[in-house]
Amino acid sequence: MNTPKKIPFLLFLTFLLVGCGEDFLNVNSRERVAAVDQEEIYRPDEFVIGVYGNFTEWEYAFSWLGVTEIISDNADKGSSPSDTGTDKHLLDNLQFSSTAPSIQAMWTIWYKTIGRATNAIEYTESFGLSDEAYKNRLIGEARFLRALSYFYLVRYFGDVPLQQEDLTQRVPEEEVYEFIISDLESAIASLPLKSEYPTDELGRATRGAAQALLSKVYLERENWSEAVNYADQVINSGEYGLEPNYEEIWREHSENGIESIFEIQARGESTAHGVQQYSQTQGARGPSGWGWGFNTPTQDLVEAYDSEGDEIRKNATIIFAGETLWDGREVSENVENPRYNEKAYSSANAGAADSDKNIRVLRYAEVLLIKAEAANELGNTGAALDALNQVRERVELDPVTTSDQAQLRRAIWKERRLELAFEHDRWFDLLRTGQAGEVMRAHGKDFVDGKHELFPIPEEQLRQTPEMRQNPGY
Amino acid sequence: MLFNNFQWSQKIMRYQHIPIIILTLLAFLLFLPDQSFGQQHTVQGTVNDQNGEPLPGVNITVKGTTRGTSTNSEGMYELTVPSASDTLVFSFIGFETQEIPIDGRNMIDVNLTPATLAGEEVVVVGYGTQQQEDLTGSISRIETEEITRQSSLTAMESLQGKITGVNVINNDAPGGTPTVILRGLGTALGGRNPLYIVDGVPVDDINNISPSDIESIDFLKDASAASIYGLRAANGVIIVTTKDGEGGAPQFEVSSSAGYTSVLNSVEMADQQEYITYFNEENAAIGGFQLAPSQQYNTDWYDELLETGYVIDSRASVSGGSENVNYFVSYNVNQEKGLLDEQTFWRQTLRNNNKYWLFNDVVEIDQNLSISVSRENPQPFSAFNTAYRQSPLVPTFYPNGRYGQPFVNETTGKMGYEGGEGEAIGRLNTHGNPLTAIAFNNQERNTVTLQGALSAKINFTDYLTFTSRLGGTKYYSDSRTFNPLKQGWIASDPTRTATQYETSKAENPGVTDWADNSLFVQNLERFRWNWDNFITFDKSFDRHNTELTLGMSSERIGVGSTFSGTAYDVPQQEQYWNLNLGSDDYEKQVNHTNFTPSTLASYFGRIQYNYDQRYYITGTLRRDGTSQFANTEDYWEFFPSVGLGWTLSNEDFMSDNEFIDFLKLRGSWGRLGNQNVPLNTTVIYTSTGSSSQNYVFGPAQTLRFGASVGSPARDISWEIVEEWNAGVDMEILDSRLSTSLDFYQKTTENVILLVNPLPDSPYAESFYDHGGEVVNQGVEVGLDWSNSISEELSYNVGVNFSYNQNEVTNVAAGYEGLTGGGLGNGQITKRLEEGQPLGAWWMYEAEGVWQTQEQIDNNPSLGGAMPGHLRYRDLNEDGVIDERDKRFFGSYVPNYNYGINIGLNYRQFDFSMDGFGVGGNKVYNGLNNTRFGGENTTRDMFEKRWTGEGSTNTHPGANRDARASSYYLEDGAYFRINNITLGYSLPEIIDRVSRVRFYVSAENPVLLTGYSGFTPELIGSDNGNPYGTAGIELSAYPNTRTLLFGINIDLK
Repeated sequence: MNTPKKIPFLLFLTFLLVGCGEDFLNVNSRERVAAVDQEEIYRPDEFVIGVYGNFTEWEYAFSWLGVTEIISDNADKGSSPSDTGTDKHLLDNLQFSSTAPSIQAMWTIWYKTIGRATNAIEYTESFGLSDEAYKNRLIGEARFLRALSYFYLVRYFGDVPLQQEDLTQRVPEEEVYEFIISDLESAIASLPLKSEYPTDELGRATRGAAQALLSKVYLERENWSEAVNYADQVINSGEYGLEPNYEEIWREHSENGIESIFEIQARGESTAHGVQQYSQTQGARGPSGWGWGFNTPTQDLVEAYDSEGDEIRKNATIIFAGETLWDGREVSENVENPRYNEKAYSSANAGAADSDKNIRVLRYAEVLLIKAEAANELGNTGAALDALNQVRERVELDPVTTSDQAQLRRAIWKERRLELAFEHDRWFDLLRTGQAGEVMRAHGKDFVDGKHELFPIPEEQLRQTPEMRQNPGY
Repeated sequence: MLFNNFQWSQKIMRYQHIPIIILTLLAFLLFLPDQSFGQQHTVQGTVNDQNGEPLPGVNITVKGTTRGTSTNSEGMYELTVPSASDTLVFSFIGFETQEIPIDGRNMIDVNLTPATLAGEEVVVVGYGTQQQEDLTGSISRIETEEITRQSSLTAMESLQGKITGVNVINNDAPGGTPTVILRGLGTALGGRNPLYIVDGVPVDDINNISPSDIESIDFLKDASAASIYGLRAANGVIIVTTKDGEGGAPQFEVSSSAGYTSVLNSVEMADQQEYITYFNEENAAIGGFQLAPSQQYNTDWYDELLETGYVIDSRASVSGGSENVNYFVSYNVNQEKGLLDEQTFWRQTLRNNNKYWLFNDVVEIDQNLSISVSRENPQPFSAFNTAYRQSPLVPTFYPNGRYGQPFVNETTGKMGYEGGEGEAIGRLNTHGNPLTAIAFNNQERNTVTLQGALSAKINFTDYLTFTSRLGGTKYYSDSRTFNPLKQGWIASDPTRTATQYETSKAENPGVTDWADNSLFVQNLERFRWNWDNFITFDKSFDRHNTELTLGMSSERIGVGSTFSGTAYDVPQQEQYWNLNLGSDDYEKQVNHTNFTPSTLASYFGRIQYNYDQRYYITGTLRRDGTSQFANTEDYWEFFPSVGLGWTLSNEDFMSDNEFIDFLKLRGSWGRLGNQNVPLNTTVIYTSTGSSSQNYVFGPAQTLRFGASVGSPARDISWEIVEEWNAGVDMEILDSRLSTSLDFYQKTTENVILLVNPLPDSPYAESFYDHGGEVVNQGVEVGLDWSNSISEELSYNVGVNFSYNQNEVTNVAAGYEGLTGGGLGNGQITKRLEEGQPLGAWWMYEAEGVWQTQEQIDNNPSLGGAMPGHLRYRDLNEDGVIDERDKRFFGSYVPNYNYGINIGLNYRQFDFSMDGFGVGGNKVYNGLNNTRFGGENTTRDMFEKRWTGEGSTNTHPGANRDARASSYYLEDGAYFRINNITLGYSLPEIIDRVSRVRFYVSAENPVLLTGYSGFTPELIGSDNGNPYGTAGIELSAYPNTRTLLFGINIDLK
């Protein structure tokens, strides 16, 4: 055998006989339909709906109660003493740590909402919609929802990461606010007025909602003139007014009504899609009850109403044991807690897992109070009194007449508490106005100055991004 | 029960073992008379060493047979051979083996020359073989005797403790397969199993191969050795070579063994009175009712649940050949019955390996074919769990024949499900009767595996060959599960009646929960093939010895499909269990999936060169492509390796050294890959229900459907392993003592993790990504001593020790969120963190027991703490006990393992003992920890419990909490005698019967461990996933011990 001459042949045989190229390695998918073969194309609106959808998560039905009201002087944990609601007792007593599940849950849900918004914005921008106005509206909606989520984050945690930039670094509060303001300014420019939406689209973010939120952001920043400016834009838009009867603000028929600026939408009929168990967690507990009985109004809140002689708002806000509700439902004397949150009560769905209760996030009365507070700080007492007394007039309270700036400030703060109780704003107000330490200690809770102004960065976050700074005191 | 087993085994004997037993008897009868007709030829002589000194104990065998003798103290031998044309083989440790044809002579004197090198062992290196002494890499070899010395279903079981660097975690359930880890865990989620190559065919496991068919197993441990299998070698390569025909006249081997199996390490549970005390103490603390002191039943659930298992194994093989053909045919049947009722495993294998030489030996054809058929009736291991927890106060059966349940009259404190007026009937706990889980379970799985390879080797010259090899494996399985829902429902409460069930059934038409029974069937088939072509050039030029291998390989895996279906209300009798006979009142469910196959393509080359068997260099380069990475089209990767060796003992300056017989230094470096990585896809979530993708708008509140992104798919590619190895091999004292020492460092550079998205990231779902490094470094030492004291007495002792340190390093920012080790009650026990081993324990540290309520009030405690509960350390001293106080406690994977193997031959007796131990790990007693109220406890926990202030500050009271803590984390070290065998071979009394050996063997007779559960050997769920239940005892099958009797008969 003349072997050497056969070697090239052998090599050829070995290396080329089996055509092992990319074709061989490119195997067709059989188990699942490959992306290229998928016919479904998502419309940009679907991703925008997905951003709204995140506001219907369980976090808003339970954790949210803990970090906004239970923690404050407005509400107690409620429920049975043995039912802690995982950490609601710790929030109630200001004993929470960085592993508190409620704080962790809210931190996460806001960032997930921000993520959905950013994705929706990017998807909408690149999708190739021909209707510019529609495209800008969708982007504006997502920006509004993103700004709302960042606004919660920055007020609770101070410096927080800007998701688009770096997940491991907290950026100064100032930059977060700049981001929020730019999102809202852009939303104001591209969102339609409430009246410009078709009826069946009501509930989407409007120009008025973005203006109202921006006004609230400026109030938080103590930029009084901009706060007044944006409040005035809402007030002068002619889109909004006060619901004549305070207690009817939380009825189904006034959802997205004249006073409504932004609400989280919910549906009680099958297929029900509410803010999860928002009505159930706060429903009366025990005989005749329909819920878990969390987030119950404090005696202190009752006294606050009484000191003002404010029967209308007290009765609209609080369900008392033994009372017969406006729809005829009798609440037994023997329910477990003396008081429950009436603003969460759904007549049609009561303790159903998904109720029709829309959560009022921004309403016209608050814009009036923002204007009142900011105008007072600017020394414009007349405008302040005018706005404040519009709110008082509805609930049949005497007008405030003081022209003393400090007194008026106190009056407006108190008005906010009574008007907006259980609308998830009390803790922010206490912190913003610097009253938190004084009020909470008077309320018997150990508020530590220099610590409790901010929440701890959740442990689950720090565990994965250890270089992120913890807030002082935790 | 035992009697039943016996009947069972008789039944099996009747069907499967009889042919072999008949064969055994026939062999005796047929060949017995032949004795007197045999041609007799006697050879004698003396064997001397190179200096003319007589050598005692030299083995002399007739080539191709097992007939032989050995020299006496004067070096003299005498042997009767069948034919004067036979060849004699003279072998002795430390000397070159010589083969001398008799050529009709009666006197043959021989001078043996010392072996210039250690042994002449050949190892398989992948696409070829190599002399052991020429290796530059780290390869361990195990041969047939070591594998078959103990009876086992798969070969890997018997290898525990025999090879350095190989950690085998056994599972003693019938049909159970061990987990094999070579040199530590390198991957968290990718394929963790080593690659098996059976006669050149890559496969996932070797469960279909009878251990007695295996000639040898080679473990390619370091990168220099394994990189020839580049793309799948990251977890090591195990090469299995099955037996070939021996050539010559047919030789029969028949063997059979049978034995009984029982629990090795049972745990004593509290009895009736102890339980009552424990229960009452617990209930007193939480304000529950009290049990009356006198109760009717005292059930030992493990006694009721466990049966004696058995193992029967029979094998027969024939091997022989002529000038152009060698053949090997074998048949094996293995039957196991487990510790639970009707828990069985049965496997038959048939193998035929033939070798043909054509055209004057120019073409060599190898053909291997094996068929393996198995049937398995598994039982749920959850029964072990329930038996642990159920109270001894519950009867197995009530007098009326109904299953016992933990019903108790809370008013009288007496057990029972009936009560007078105003009396409350409650339950002691939520568990059922352990026997029902077994009684109503009806599963069966049948499998058929066809595996074969055909290879042709063309010898162009004596130094140039071309080999083409085609291999394939076809696997079928069909399984079914029959669930008598109605009977189960009735059995779970003695007050339930069939009428009640039927009423509910009528009220819920079409609701499958109320069907009489359900039948689930699943068929699955898979096929894989590979085709390798390579040329080998092997030539020596003067003192330059070179070998060059070049080739390519292509492979297609996972071609197949699965079909499954569920039907309801099929007839009760097993013969009618067809989906088609299910009732039309219930919707049948049918699923069918074609698997997406994957393909692999590789080009490889290897050069092995040595100068004068002193200086060695091996270089390997492999280029691999895999369809796994089709989404990025980044198919290809290079895997190089290089190995160096220096045999000092062949140097001139060492030639005068009498002490050292062999000394070699080795070093290697290489890169290996793992392409068995998880599938990664972007999921967009949508829903038509109430989900957070959807929202409502407008007064009509129309539900609008939206979408959100789960997590985007990352571009996942090869897991790459880089490995360094340094080793030394040495033989001293006339090669009686041989030792090898290896150091290695193995780094998985880009390990794939299941990443929990950061809370502040946009993504909601966990996703896979490369996220860190895993470093395994270790030392392996092996020491073998063998000696022949006289021709009648020889022995060998082998010890080995492997140490491996595992550490996760360089975890990507934000990727440290992986947790695992869930106990099924919401508690987790493991977490990933940089600087810790893979799968590290992470939990609260128990630091005592709360003695008083006052103590709890004045110290940081977890919510709900009560006196008698464990007290956890406030690690960060912030006054609050929360997750930040959890700490790491090492790993469940042993840091070190060691084996000791002893063999002794004295006259006709042979004795062997293998022991195996591990240490440096911790295991978690989940059975003891995850306790809800009212369950039974171990006697040990009962006796040492906290009973009030000052009683103990270590052990919790009857009322304890179920949080995961270091209290339940125990030392996982153990030492076990794996096998003791004593054999006796009959003297050669019959000509055609070359060997008859009887033996008795004890498997796992002794276990030394401080662990309080059933077994410290815990593979866990999901094939040993480090973040699954590996190292946690929850429903694990206990270790078992087996006493076996067996016989081996060799005929010719």
